[in-house]
Amino acid sequence: MTKNLKWIILFLTPATLFFLYVYAIPIIVLFTTSFTEWTIGTAPKFIGINNYIDLLTNDSDFIKAGINTGIWILLQSTIHVALGVLCALILARKKFYWKFTRTVYMIPNIISSAALGMMFLMIFNPTFGAVNSLIRIMGIKDFGHNWFLSDSTAFLAVTIIWLPFAANITILVLAEMSSIPPSILEAAYIDGAGEVQTNIRIVLPMVHRIIGTSTLLAATSMLQKLDVIMITTSGGPGNTTLNLPMYVYETALRQNNFGKANTAGVYMIIIGLIVVKSINWIYRMDESDI
Amino acid sequence: MLKYINKFLIFLFITFIIVISLGPFLWVVISSLKTNVEIMSGSFGMPKVLKLSNYATAFKLAPLTKFYLNSIIVAVSATILNVSLFSMAAYVLARTTFKAKNIFRVMFSIGLLIPGASLLQPLYMTIKQTGMYDSLLTLIIVYVAFGLPTTVYIITSYFSTLPRELEESAYIDGAGFFTTFIKIIVPLAKPAFGTAAVLEFLLCWNEFQFALTLTTGNKNRTIPLALYYFKSQFASDYGAMFAATVLVTIPSIIVYIILQEQVVSGLTAGAVKG
Repeated sequence: MTKNLKWIILFLTPATLFFLYVYAIPIIVLFTTSFTEWTIGTAPKFIGINNYIDLLTNDSDFIKAGINTGIWILLQSTIHVALGVLCALILARKKFYWKFTRTVYMIPNIISSAALGMMFLMIFNPTFGAVNSLIRIMGIKDFGHNWFLSDSTAFLAVTIIWLPFAANITILVLAEMSSIPPSILEAAYIDGAGEVQTNIRIVLPMVHRIIGTSTLLAATSMLQKLDVIMITTSGGPGNTTLNLPMYVYETALRQNNFGKANTAGVYMIIIGLIVVKSINWIYRMDESDI
Repeated sequence: MLKYINKFLIFLFITFIIVISLGPFLWVVISSLKTNVEIMSGSFGMPKVLKLSNYATAFKLAPLTKFYLNSIIVAVSATILNVSLFSMAAYVLARTTFKAKNIFRVMFSIGLLIPGASLLQPLYMTIKQTGMYDSLLTLIIVYVAFGLPTTVYIITSYFSTLPRELEESAYIDGAGFFTTFIKIIVPLAKPAFGTAAVLEFLLCWNEFQFALTLTTGNKNRTIPLALYYFKSQFASDYGAMFAATVLVTIPSIIVYIILQEQVVSGLTAGAVKG
């Protein structure tokens, strides 16, 4: 083995260097400067956990961003996941439309989410957007509601850009379902179980682990959604659609308040870990089997 | 009776899925061929004449050719570097035993637990301090690294499924560590390389926030930023804006349609890690 040691080192070096430059150093910067007061042009000054307290007690934008992100995580790990799973159950019947539907459903997931955001910005455009045109055709003339700029609908309009597009989950669940031995399903039918019953009692429990994984991916993706928000609302009107990534971006690169932005970044990592832990616990993914 | 209701509900659901997935894109494509007047009238009809000049205008208003070229350079180089360099790490993880192996395993997967946006400012600072701000090379390096967890995972799991006898016989024939890897293992693992490469390519092609933060001006920007450009500067030429959106999305869709199996198996493989 020792004669291979130099090869092992050589093979690990590139990956390690990339890791150090793009992850390790920034992560160290993130944690250390989260305890400092640091704005553009000044040197970081150690202030203990002041930023951490300040964000929670004194910053309504951060709180709002946290609440919004929380709501989106909840919606995404329930409705979004359910939609993806339901679609998988239907497509698993392998009717003539299944491949086409699977391919088409993936399109919104595969394109740049900035572009998806742009599409929906135009779809919800008050004058020429498809949504308002449709409403006008259906009878409400002069309907000119501005979805993204109105307090009452901005949140909904943003949510629509990611909530229905659960093709990733559909694909994961479909793949897992194909590994269920057909004999088990046949046995269920012979015992007189209907399709719905088989799905609920047999298929879903057997794929619960992949549903857990899907939920994990869906929930944590809500800590990444910056491009869609930037293209559509920038967090507005006011802070109605502000999420944590947008808050970090605003604080770091517009207000140049680096210390505070990095504290928010640490909070984001903590929230991510809590989400991962809870979903693991809910779906019992740590246990070896059901 | 119940059976028909069931069938009808399924029909409704599938129609809904197809409409929401295809509808927006088709609407944007059709609108990209309309005149500004036709767009503003807000009707769903087809354009009277196909106004292809919207595409020409899009290229004129924004440096789309430049952005396209940058995207191709970044995505192709990052993909090649990503799979070739990280398959080496994956090979070590899959096939050798040494004390610190688990440290490396954890290290290479840590990226999965860090929301990208939390690293925006620290990475921006690191890049600035090392004099790497605003260059294509920086974007390549950053994207190569962002694909680290997925690529290492996909390729490691594939390597682990290959029978060890292959390498043993190669060793007996006198081949060294490196020769065995290049001549025996890599050719056998083509499917895994394909999967990892497609995912990495799409990541590079679609990434927005770091491309925006780590570059400035137009020299080194990539194609997703073209949309931001249109949004902020030319918000009145809607035809061109629609055309730009189509131009940004088409390559991803083509790559996906051609390499669908790789994308699907990649998503499946990438998720089993939980």
